[in-house]
Amino acid sequence: MSVNKIKVTVNNKVFEEEIDSRLLLVDFIRENLGLTGTHVGCDTTNCGACTVLLDGKPVKSCTVFALQANGKSITTIEGLSHGKEMHPIQKAFLDKNGLQCGYCTAGMIMIAHWLIRKNPEATRDEIREAISGNLCRCTGYDSIVDSIQEASQNMIPEEEEDITAGQRGR
Amino acid sequence: MSTIEEIVQGKGKFVDDIVLPGMQHMSVIRSNYSRGKILGISGGYTFKDFPAYMSSVGEGASEGEKNMREPVLADKYVNYIGEPVAAVLGKNRYEAEDLSEKVEIEIEPLTPMMDPEKSIDAPPVYPYMKSNIYKKVTLGRDFRTDGFEVEIEGHFNNRRVATNPIEPRGIVAAYEDNQLTVWISTQSVHSIKEGLSEVLSMPEDNIRVIQADTGGAFGLKGGLYSEYALAAFLAKKTGKPVKWIESRREHLMASRPGRGTSAFVKLYANRSGRILGMKGKVIVDSGAYSGGSGEFAARFVGMQMTGPYKIENAYVEAYPVFTNKVVQGPYRGAGRPEAHFFIERMIDMLADKLKMDPVDVRLINTVNSEFKSPLGMDVPPAKEFLEEAISKLNYRKLYKEKPGFAFFVLVPAFQPGETARIKIENNEVKVWLGGNTHGQRHDIFVKTLVNEGLGINRDLVHLQLGDTSMLKSGIGSWGSRSAMVGGMAVHEACKKIKQAFIAKNGIYSADALLKEGADEFVHWRGEGTMNSLGCNLVTCEVNDRGQVKVKECAAYYDVGRALSPEVVRGQVSGGMAQGIGQTLYEEIMYSDDGQLLTASIADAGVPIASQLPEYKVLLSNTRSNLATGAKGVGESPTIGVPIALSRAIENVTGVKITETPIRQELLLRSMKH
Amino acid sequence: MYPQSFEYVAPRTLKEAVEFLRKHEGEAKILAGGQSLIPILKMRFASFGYLVDIGGLQDLHYIKRDRDSIRIGSLARTSEIEESQDIRMNALMLAEAASQVADSQVRNMGTVGGNCVHGDPGNDLPSVMLALDAIYKVTGPSGTRDIPASEFYVDSYSTGLGEAEILTEIVIPVIQHGSGGAYIKQRRRAGDFSIAAVAAFVSINESGNCGVARLAVTSIGPINFRSKKAEEFLTGKKLSDQNIATAAQLLVDSVEPVADPYGSVEFKKEILRLVGIEALSKATDRALGV
Repeated sequence: MSVNKIKVTVNNKVFEEEIDSRLLLVDFIRENLGLTGTHVGCDTTNCGACTVLLDGKPVKSCTVFALQANGKSITTIEGLSHGKEMHPIQKAFLDKNGLQCGYCTAGMIMIAHWLIRKNPEATRDEIREAISGNLCRCTGYDSIVDSIQEASQNMIPEEEEDITAGQRGR
Repeated sequence: MSTIEEIVQGKGKFVDDIVLPGMQHMSVIRSNYSRGKILGISGGYTFKDFPAYMSSVGEGASEGEKNMREPVLADKYVNYIGEPVAAVLGKNRYEAEDLSEKVEIEIEPLTPMMDPEKSIDAPPVYPYMKSNIYKKVTLGRDFRTDGFEVEIEGHFNNRRVATNPIEPRGIVAAYEDNQLTVWISTQSVHSIKEGLSEVLSMPEDNIRVIQADTGGAFGLKGGLYSEYALAAFLAKKTGKPVKWIESRREHLMASRPGRGTSAFVKLYANRSGRILGMKGKVIVDSGAYSGGSGEFAARFVGMQMTGPYKIENAYVEAYPVFTNKVVQGPYRGAGRPEAHFFIERMIDMLADKLKMDPVDVRLINTVNSEFKSPLGMDVPPAKEFLEEAISKLNYRKLYKEKPGFAFFVLVPAFQPGETARIKIENNEVKVWLGGNTHGQRHDIFVKTLVNEGLGINRDLVHLQLGDTSMLKSGIGSWGSRSAMVGGMAVHEACKKIKQAFIAKNGIYSADALLKEGADEFVHWRGEGTMNSLGCNLVTCEVNDRGQVKVKECAAYYDVGRALSPEVVRGQVSGGMAQGIGQTLYEEIMYSDDGQLLTASIADAGVPIASQLPEYKVLLSNTRSNLATGAKGVGESPTIGVPIALSRAIENVTGVKITETPIRQELLLRSMKH
Repeated sequence: MYPQSFEYVAPRTLKEAVEFLRKHEGEAKILAGGQSLIPILKMRFASFGYLVDIGGLQDLHYIKRDRDSIRIGSLARTSEIEESQDIRMNALMLAEAASQVADSQVRNMGTVGGNCVHGDPGNDLPSVMLALDAIYKVTGPSGTRDIPASEFYVDSYSTGLGEAEILTEIVIPVIQHGSGGAYIKQRRRAGDFSIAAVAAFVSINESGNCGVARLAVTSIGPINFRSKKAEEFLTGKKLSDQNIATAAQLLVDSVEPVADPYGSVEFKKEILRLVGIEALSKATDRALGV
């Protein structure tokens, strides 16, 4: 085993660890940090259940080595809500039945978070295109599109600032 | 179970989220050949360590030929790609995979039998069988075919489709003091317990099965798998907990896929479109061992092959046949979509032959009274519903858009009812159901029914995950049954609690009940069947490259009383996506020489958001005769959509559609000419 | 689906990276975004003693516009190509192709350099680089050299890049007034590799005919390649529908696709013909400013 040091900021908290160099980012997040909200669905960069934000941009953490995130900042689904207060996207997924089994949901919410910041007025077709790297087998997607549309209407700029502050500070 | 609020915040507890002290990770070494003789294995746990055979439990379980049961680990021969041959344990997944590479298996390849229609007449692959047919089934009565004015025939195929829930299969097993505890992603903790007990030769009392939050299943997670028995066996053998999480590649190789059913069908009619007879020969690609759902499916597909139509003469021969592929299992619909695809395609063909509107042919052959078909299916009064559907779905107005239309009977798994337990304690109501929710939000109908039955605030009612130590028996969640039979079990338990309270206290008070507490178990058993009707309408465009874009995708279903309309809508939308997937993209493919060609979830064709349309879901609110008023729904869209979409494509391109998935190449050729 | 062990190094300078690659030639592999490499490692189709993570070499992470060219650092992310105004204004077809690479997440992590040097004939950007006549600047132990994209692709997963060399920059000429390019991709669905894709570049000469034509193909055959026959046919001719159709047919006649589960040889040829026509027509429209 080849051991390397890693220092990353996850959900605004700094972690320093020694890890196996082949450890995938998703396993680092799930197993080393115990943040199990990020899921593995396909192993082949298709399903998007493992989507996290790396320096503010969504990536598939099953296809990134943890060491590639060294010195960077990561936001996972656990980093979106403030204590008991849910993020507007999370609320929208509840309101609009954006999930059934919930296994793909973290990935969907993370990609939605990026999309809404990038294109707050995305049309339904643009939303469908943006989430085309995320698979859902339960909903048929229409309620996910509903949820993301609703969230984009409810998100106010201050809230967006707050969540990405961690990344901007560095 | 985790609440939906917890899940959107990443606080769900799926099986891979469970970590136990000292836990080991299991990696399974599998056959790379579809058929071969094992010459040697070095390393790992093998059949010699665990000489056990699989048990058939859960949805579509069958006794099966005892001497053709699947060994937990291959013994002497391998019979499908992905068949488990050995297992290793590592302290983490990386190490387990490293160790699995050190296990060497020597296999002498043999010619595999990959085509079920060839398998029927081929010499038996297993020397102790007379043929490759597991068990021939006949339904109805054969009849003379001379004297009919019109005769048409068709050959249809629904190819194999992987279930592909986004959460793969998984288990954590721990063994301590003679007691096996497993945490699992499942549709039925009770099936798992029963199956493990049989395979491990352990009394059921020494096994506890606990459901983890379950990330979709669609038929996949109803029964037992080799890896579950292996994980349990190794936990017992090593004394340390064992975790196994399926990779997607393993899912595509070794998880039981659905469909894989073809048919030769003949219809006999008069010139005005009245159908007088139907004959069918059904072939189910059952895979390499008995005990899968193939034997059940053959009979079940056969039974439904007259659809909702009144056809006096009907006869079906159905053959579950051997192939060198993973054993077939149920996939959302499990026989219902296949049977209806066959009859509905024939109806459209008959309409073409007689130059009639296909919907008119359907109308001519439906009646307004209920009846039992010659093949044994209870058909509800159909004509009025069909007329209503034609009008609600705007079929006549959309006629210029060349819509495809589907009409079907949903036969839910009504028998043998379901169990529930309601425990009221500490001002809180806990409910366990015999069938385990795996994404359908059973918690919502449970809250509704407890609120209606006992007048208790919904917020105090909490559905629990399956746990065999909390509920003594149960069936499972599949076959469009849970709101219906699980709902009735909850309803009955509430009724009993209320009656007992009144008997004791004179008058009923929800508040007093919450203080006093109660604990009631019920196994509710329905009588007869609870079949219902549904229609779909689909329109589409096909571009010059042969790519299909679905435009209108609409449903009109009789779901009885929708206990939760949003959940029903979600079920229908998700099912329609799967129906489109099966029709256009999804397939598990093998080469003729038995290599697996679909290696990723993308290869397997699971559709993405930009390939799918918006849905129109219309419900007929006709209460069933159950006290709850509910009927089934979950599988309806996977029955209706492939039929309606296939016809819509046929209408637009002129290409005769006989199988799913419909290849782009087939449509491209038609667009060229 | 877990990679074999490897030693991980993250050099701080380009020089250090090249030096490490030279020293461990044959055992070391460059890791940039990893979007092609990591899946291969996870499936254990390949393994390496060392992964040399050049992701931290910020000097290679840029998109710059000169007077006549755009210079793209090899570590620019695919998503940055897609979103770059400079590229959208001056080499639209490159942005167009970038936006069709895999999905958003992969584009955010994957680099232009990685996409171009991996040698997978299903990758999109190499075809655009061929059609735009891009120059690859590489640095190795003996210094820096230029390799034209047209000479870079040798065979599947085999390129003109030496074992100890690193692609540092791609230089593409700005698409001038009177020229146009387009990238048309046919895939089963977003996120998949293509069945076939064509990058077309044309310029219109003074007499209103085709001055230069470059036509490059993705996913058909062992490498991304240009169809000289089709290009020669078009040069000097009117870019009419009929000539475009003939050029697309010449393109098809020059290839021998391999059948796979998603289609026969004939199917792939027909798809290639259709995307060829579409790419050429769109490039022509853009050259004419339509």
